[in-house]
Parts: sequence; C-alpha cells; structure tokens
Amino acid sequence: MIHSVLIFNTSGTPRLIKFYTPLRSPELATVIPQKIFKLISSRPPGACNFLDVPDLDMTSQLNIASNDRICVVYRNYATLYFVFVIDGGESELGILDLIQVFVESLDKAFRNVCELDLVFHFDEVHAILAEIVQGGLVLETNVAEISQMVEEGFKARKASYAAANPLSLSGGVMGGSSRGGNSNVSSPLSSLQTPIGWLTERITGLNAR
Amino acid sequence: MWERTLQDLIRGLRANKNDESKFIAQAIEEIRREVRSKDMELKAAAILKMTFLDMLGYDLSWADFNIIEVMSSTKYHLKTVGYLAASQSFSERTDVLMLTTNLLKKDLSSNPADVALALNGLSHFVTPDLARDLTQELNAMLNHSRAHIRKRVILALFKVIQQHPETLPFCLPRLIEKLDDPDFSVVSSTVNLFCELSRRNPQDFLSLAPPLFHILTTSSNNWMLIKVIKLFGAISPYEPRLAKKLQGPITDLIQTTAAISLLYECVHTCIIGGMLDGSDGLALARLCVNKLSTFLENDDQNLKYIALMAMVKIVPVRPELVAEHQAVILSSLDDLDMSIRMRALELISSMVTPYNLQYLVQQLLSHLVKANQTSSTPSAQATLAQALQSDGQSTSGISLYTPAYRQEISSRIIDMCSRNMYENVQDFDWYLSVLLDLIYIANVDIAAMICDQLVNVAVRVRASRAYAVQLMAKLLDDDGIVLGANDPTKCTGVLWAAAWICGEYSETVLTRLIQPSISLLSSDIIAVYIQATLKVLSRWTYDLAEGWSNEQLKSAKETVDAVLTGLNPLCCHADMEVQERAANAAQLVTLIHADLSTFQPKPFVETPQQDAYLTGFEDPTPQTNDFPKSLLLLRRFFNSYKLRPVAVNANKQVPIPAGLNLDSWITAPPKRALDEDVRERKKKKKSKKGKEKAESTAERVNEGLSKGYVEYNEDEEEAAQRRAERLARQRDDPYYLTDAPKSKSVGSPDVDSIPVVRLEGMPSLSALTPPRPSSRLSDVQPPPAHKHFELDRDEETPAHLAVASSPATRPGTPLTEAEIPSGLETPDAIVVKRAKKKGTGKRKTPVPPL
Repeated sequence: MIHSVLIFNTSGTPRLIKFYTPLRSPELATVIPQKIFKLISSRPPGACNFLDVPDLDMTSQLNIASNDRICVVYRNYATLYFVFVIDGGESELGILDLIQVFVESLDKAFRNVCELDLVFHFDEVHAILAEIVQGGLVLETNVAEISQMVEEGFKARKASYAAANPLSLSGGVMGGSSRGGNSNVSSPLSSLQTPIGWLTERITGLNAR
Repeated sequence: MWERTLQDLIRGLRANKNDESKFIAQAIEEIRREVRSKDMELKAAAILKMTFLDMLGYDLSWADFNIIEVMSSTKYHLKTVGYLAASQSFSERTDVLMLTTNLLKKDLSSNPADVALALNGLSHFVTPDLARDLTQELNAMLNHSRAHIRKRVILALFKVIQQHPETLPFCLPRLIEKLDDPDFSVVSSTVNLFCELSRRNPQDFLSLAPPLFHILTTSSNNWMLIKVIKLFGAISPYEPRLAKKLQGPITDLIQTTAAISLLYECVHTCIIGGMLDGSDGLALARLCVNKLSTFLENDDQNLKYIALMAMVKIVPVRPELVAEHQAVILSSLDDLDMSIRMRALELISSMVTPYNLQYLVQQLLSHLVKANQTSSTPSAQATLAQALQSDGQSTSGISLYTPAYRQEISSRIIDMCSRNMYENVQDFDWYLSVLLDLIYIANVDIAAMICDQLVNVAVRVRASRAYAVQLMAKLLDDDGIVLGANDPTKCTGVLWAAAWICGEYSETVLTRLIQPSISLLSSDIIAVYIQATLKVLSRWTYDLAEGWSNEQLKSAKETVDAVLTGLNPLCCHADMEVQERAANAAQLVTLIHADLSTFQPKPFVETPQQDAYLTGFEDPTPQTNDFPKSLLLLRRFFNSYKLRPVAVNANKQVPIPAGLNLDSWITAPPKRALDEDVRERKKKKKSKKGKEKAESTAERVNEGLSKGYVEYNEDEEEAAQRRAERLARQRDDPYYLTDAPKSKSVGSPDVDSIPVVRLEGMPSLSALTPPRPSSRLSDVQPPPAHKHFELDRDEETPAHLAVASSPATRPGTPLTEAEIPSGLETPDAIVVKRAKKKGTGKRKTPVPPL
C-alpha cells in the first residue's frame, strides 16, 4: 500500500503532507519529509526515481511490520517534488505512473498548475488526491474519471457555499481564491494540457503573479 | 469584524518570512478564538487554517472537538473542511472519535457526495470500535448503485478489516461478487483490496483463484495484472496445483509484455511457484534473464533498477544464468545513483559461490576504497551534480558515499563470507585478512560485526588460530587504533576481539596488553585486556614452570613486575568492572610476585639438591625440577576447560530438572487489584480527612475492586465474604448512605475522630467478616496481625519514619489498640506476604502532613 504522499518544493518547504499509516510519533510528520527531501535533493541528475538508500530507515518510523521493504518513489516537476512512500504491495513503476496521473489531474483542475496553486489551494489538492488514493490504496488511475469527480466535488462545494452565502458575489470556496478570480478554478476542465505545457507555463506564470 | 482567511494567512506567512514564528503564534491565537465562535463558517475557516499550519508542523490536536463540530455541519463545503482536518490530524488515539459513530452513520446514508467524503475520512481514522459499528452499513453499501461509491467502500474496508478482522468473513461473499462488477475500476479496487489483505494471511484467499484466473487471462490492464499476479504470488505457496495452472498464462505474459513492472511481478510469482525449476523452467528462466539483461543495459535508470531487483529473485534458483551477466552487474556498482548501487550490492552478495567469493569480495573492497576516497574529496562530476541539484546549504553534509552506504558494503561483505556457516569460504586466512582490511578501510563503526567474526573464526577454525593471533598482535600494536578510541570510525572496538583472541591463543603479547595507553580505551575493552593479560600470563608461567631453570628467575620477576605495574593504575579506574578485575588480577599477580621474591635463596639450595640429596627437601620426586610453585597458580583458572562454540539451541536441550514446573507461580500472581485496594483505601481515608472527594469515585473503586477480586476468586463463598466485607466497609464510611445507624460519625468535621469511630464498629465487624484469604495464599495461616506489623516495620522501614509516623496515623490511640482495627481493615491473610507494601504504604500516608 501507499504509506505516504508528500509534495515539497526544491527548497524543502512542504506543500502537501499525507500519511496513510499512523506514525510512531506525531513529530515524525515533519521529520520524515525533511529527511526524504535531504536525500532526494542530493541525488545526481539522471538518477532513477527510486530512493533506496541505507540512510533512510522508514520501517522504524512508520507503524508497520519491519520485514516489509519500504521504497520511496519520487518525481521532480519544475520546482516541486512529488513523493510516494510505498511498500512491497505496490509496483514501483506503477506508482511512477500514478504520480504522473496525479500531476495531470492537478493540471486539469487548476489549468496549468503551479506551485502557488498548491500553496493557496492546499485543500483542493487534498480533494484531488482523495480521488486518486483512499486510505493508502489506489482508487482510480484514469485521469478523465478523476477530473470528473474532482469537478463534481468542486461544484457541490460551490453550490453549498452559494446557498449558505446568498449575498456573496464570487462562487469562492472557503475564503475565495487568490488566482485572479475564480475563472481558473471554476472551469477546471476547460482545456487539456500536457505536463510539459504547464512546466513552461509555470516559469512565466510565477512571474506574472 | 475582520477575520483572516486561509489565503490571508498564507499571504501573511509569505510576507513575514523572517519573523515566521511570531506571526504564526499570533495566528494560532486568533484561531483558538475563532474556533470557539458560534458562526460555523468562521469556525470552519479557522479549522482550515489550522490544518494548513498542521502541515507546517504545528500541533492541531487541541482542536479535535471543534473539528468534529465542523464535520457535523450540514453544509457540504464546511463538511469537507471538517473531514479534511480530521483525516490529517485524527489518529486511533484521538478520544473524541467515539463521538463520530452516529455522524458517520448519518453521512454514509446521505447523498453520494457526503458518502464519498465519509468513506474517505473513515479510511483515515477508523478505530476498532468504529469498524465494528459500521460493518453492517459498509456491507450493505457494497451494492451501492454508484460505481464511485462502491469502490470507495471496497477500499475503506481495507482499513476497517485491519482494525476489526471479523468484518472480512462478513463481507467476503459480496466482495467476491465485486470481482465481476460491470465497472472496471470497481474490479480493480477489489483486486487491490484482496492483494493487500493477502499479504497478511494469504491462505484465506485461496477460494479467489478461479475468478482471479479469469481476470488474469482476459484483462489487458497492466495495473490490474500486476496486482493479480502479486496476489497469485502470495497464495500459490498454499496451493501447489495453482502453479501448474498459472504457468501457461504467465509464460505468455512474460513473452509478450513490454512492461518491466509486470515482468518483475511475473518473475517473482514464477519463483514462488517453482516454475523455473526443471528443464521446462530452464527455458522460461532463460527468457526472463535475457529480457532482464536488456533492461540492465538500458539508459533508463528506472528499468535498470527494477531489472537488478528481479535478478536478485532469480539468483537463488538459476545462479548460472545470472552469472553470465556478472560484468554488467559489477559495473553498476560504479553508478552515480545510490539506489542502483544498493540493488547491485544486493545482487552481487546473492551471487556468491565458493569459486567467485574471493573475486567478488575483492571487487567490493576496492569499491569501498573508492567510496572512501570520494567521500573525502568528491569527484568533479559528483560535485557538479550536487551543485546543480541544490542550493548548496542543504546538501553539504551528504556525499555520494555516505557512512551508511559504506556500512552497507561492509556488512554485505561480511554477510557474503559468513553466510550459512561460512559455506563459501575456503581459505580462512584470507577471510581474516579481509576482516583486517575492512577495519582499516571501512571508515565507519563496524567494530561489533568484525569482533563477532574474528572471535567466531578464531574459535572455530583451529588452523587459522596462529595467523589470527599474528594479525591481532599487529592490531594491538597499532597506535592509530588505540588512540582513535573516541572516533567510532576507527573501529577501536575490534581491540576487544584482538585482546580476547590473544588472551586465548597467544603466548607472546604480554607487554602489549598492559601498556599504559590502554587506559584510553573504553572500560569493557580494558576489562578484556586485564583478563587476557592473566590468561597469557598463566600460559607463560606454566611453560616457565615446565622448563624451569634458575637463570629464568630474573626475567620472570621482571615480567611479573611489569604486569603488576601495568595493573596497579587500573585498580583505581573509574569503571567498577575494570576496577574489580584489575584488583583481582593484581592480587593474584602479587602472590606470584611474592613467591618469586621468596624463591630467591632457593637456587643455592636447589643446585646441590639436583646433584645429590643433600637437603631433606619435601619434594617427593627428585627428578622434577624445582620451581616457584606459584607459577602454576593461574593455570587452573583458565585452562581447566576447553572453550567451544555454543549451539544456538543448546539452551533448549538442557533438561528441565524433575519437579521443576516452569509454568507455576513462584510467588503469588500479580495482585494489582489488591494493591489498588490499598491505594484506594488510602484515598478514601484522605477524603475522610476533609478533602471533598466524591463518594462516587470511592464507590466505583469499590465496585472495581470487587470485580478485580472476582478474577482471583475460586469459590462463591469467598465472593460472599468479600461482598459482606465491602458492605461493612461502606457502612463504616461516613459519606456512604446506608440504613445502618451512624449517629456519631455522620457529618462530623473532626478528622481525628474518624479512627475512633472505626474502633467502635470494630468488634461486631470482626465477627461479621472473618479474615479474607487470598486465593493463592489461603493455606498460609497468619499469626496474629499486630505481631507481623511490628516485625516488618523493623525490617523494611527506617526506624525514624516508623516512629514518627505511627502517632500521626492514629493520633491519640495507643499503638497496640490501633493495630487491631487496621489489621481488620486490611485482610489478614494478605498481611503475611504483602506486609512490605502495606507496611510502608501505611506509614507513607501520614508523611505529607508532617
């Protein structure tokens, strides 16, 4: 199963921390990402996407059987690292594909996702992840299906918000959006974008904001 | 009114980068206020902010209850916030979770959006209680009309079953139905669930084989195939016929698939099912290895990594096929990527045979040397890579070859050689030299491992002992190691083994063992040094005695003197163990020394004695040389028995002496309830003394006590006795409302008067309740209670405490009288054995007031 999903940027700031397995102590929720970040960021370019180093002793920190081999699968997109911590029940390469699915789903939902989207909409990111992984098991791998569910969830929240705040002008969810109005978020499926597309967009996009 | 939204908080955080902690402290203060607000929107916004801060490492657990409030909101957009916060911060230990049962039940029967939310939340924070209570609902929902809900239920069941295993048999029939659900991803989820569950107890899922086989032969989705094959890999050891049936489809898959992840799983399952054995298997194995070897040389590091992992699986079955690719595998050791190197290491260590062991170990050793060099001065390429990857500061401490990696190589080398009782080692002198090399080049603390190996080899391999001693003597002489005592990478710990081996098998290293510099070493090593010194000395003196000639007296005295001067400073070493051993040794050596000193005149006597029987010497055998008898003193200590390795299960073979029952209690079983009894009565006493403790606690305690007693109860009669006694005690309690008349004590504010009241009730009570026997000690008849009290007061408690406290406990009452009620208050029979606890406890109670 998947024990944890982490996103952090290239300077180590966490953008999403999710543990599906109880930790031995709550402090580890910040210690483990830091440790993984340190190890990942020191890897040479062109290295494989599996972090398999003796320095990382995950079994002693997660509440799991010690004979299970823990593997860290990660992928770097522009300024972000997407990290999945898995055990022998998952296929390493399969998870690598799943990260791609996750990123594509984010990209669809946010339309050219960038790091700032993850910062200001961390609840949305959690909602999207919840459509892909539930309780450490993979729920759905089809991007179209995921995006549809994400959109449904978003609409439901928007409707609920509108019903609760009849006077509010924007259909913002929990405090509104920061990204130049809600046009981005409210039409998450408006265009199909490749990850490469949003990679390049991101660099210009960040400056524009 | 202006409240910060999550966005404001994040903007503020970004604006206050240099003073983050102050800003956050302020924000948390706000959140604490807002969370108590009546406005649900505000509360939810606060919880959302808190969830964000939780990710940054700030504690969220204080808001547990507020999170549940938000979860129970009827508005979907607020509910999501609540569930998100709950899934991030709740754990099994969260006590408010028991409040969520009904909420979850409600949400699970609500609209699909709520259901999805609840199911996702449930798989994060399910507890055994929640799992038990929701089993019915979840089972019913397996037939939900929406595929999206069905798959969520299936996945949620995984965590539920983990917490409450009884759910599985209950839901299993419906889960099996889900294997041919019309919706593809529901089937996929079900397979996924079974795959995870089968990792824990595979034998429960044998009945799934037919539907799974169907999926295996019809599906073309790699994701699902991987899971199905994993599942078969887990269950096939329990059903031998399965392997035969799987062989066809899996061979097909191996031949056709381009996906290495699937290939890897197929290889794994093939090996578990024994499909690579025999002549049929050979072709299949060759196919696998050939496919994998193309991946080994692939530019994609990921494929290389998986190929190496798959090879590790094949090696035990078909080592000869993998050995063909030895060169490629060895070259992966030089890969920049540590993950690849780790897998290559694993593969290499599993490829070992007696014929290639020396070559492979040599390769690893030279790799280790390389790792050392690069760790001190990283190669240009590595430096460049690091500079590219990061902004410098975060990775400066990490080099390409970390200590943990060098440790890994070292332990692999040792494992390769020592595996299966050294089955691959043919030349143990070579192995010893490898170990010695490791000490010098590992540059990490592997002393413990090396020690084990050195001692093991020296003990087991007689032929290598001389060489071992030679090497160890060199080690003992190496100042670099001795002086590196504070640097764990210098492996100073190996001196432990060196000293021991020399002590056991050498005759000549005496001076090295007692040089003054050993005081730098850790105390356990010094202790071994002392012991080794004695052992060597014993052997040396014995040899001396054997071939005694008077010319040796001088050198003997010098040596013993040297040992003594070496030992003397250690007699006042800071460590107990060293001190004791040094003192013991010094005494023994002093004996020898004294004997040698007094022996001095004897040469004059002895020479004539040898020539002719001039003196009436006591020696009955004139043929033997005369020598200082003390030279044989040490011999007995160390050479009486032969030291041999102990078999792992030797301990089990020691017969249990007749009449010894290891399962019976040596003392009475734990008397937790009884101890509570004492404690609680103390509490009750306190409450009587004016601390307004609710009687309800006392009552609960009484009930708990009586429950606790029931466990030890063996017959109904005792229970009745106890009940009667409890009633009596309650009647005694001034705060306990019974119908018994309690004219004097009720409402009396005078604390001191309470024991007096008890005294009054005493005679009738003692008649009512005979001494309660403890179940295990019932046959021990106690002598009169007060006698024992006094006895253990003398033994157990400091006299001043006992004297000071006894008046305080029962003020105004003569001691002898006071003993009687207290003897009654606590059950007499227990007094005998438990007197210690009770005695001190009794006396401790009054200390605080003093």
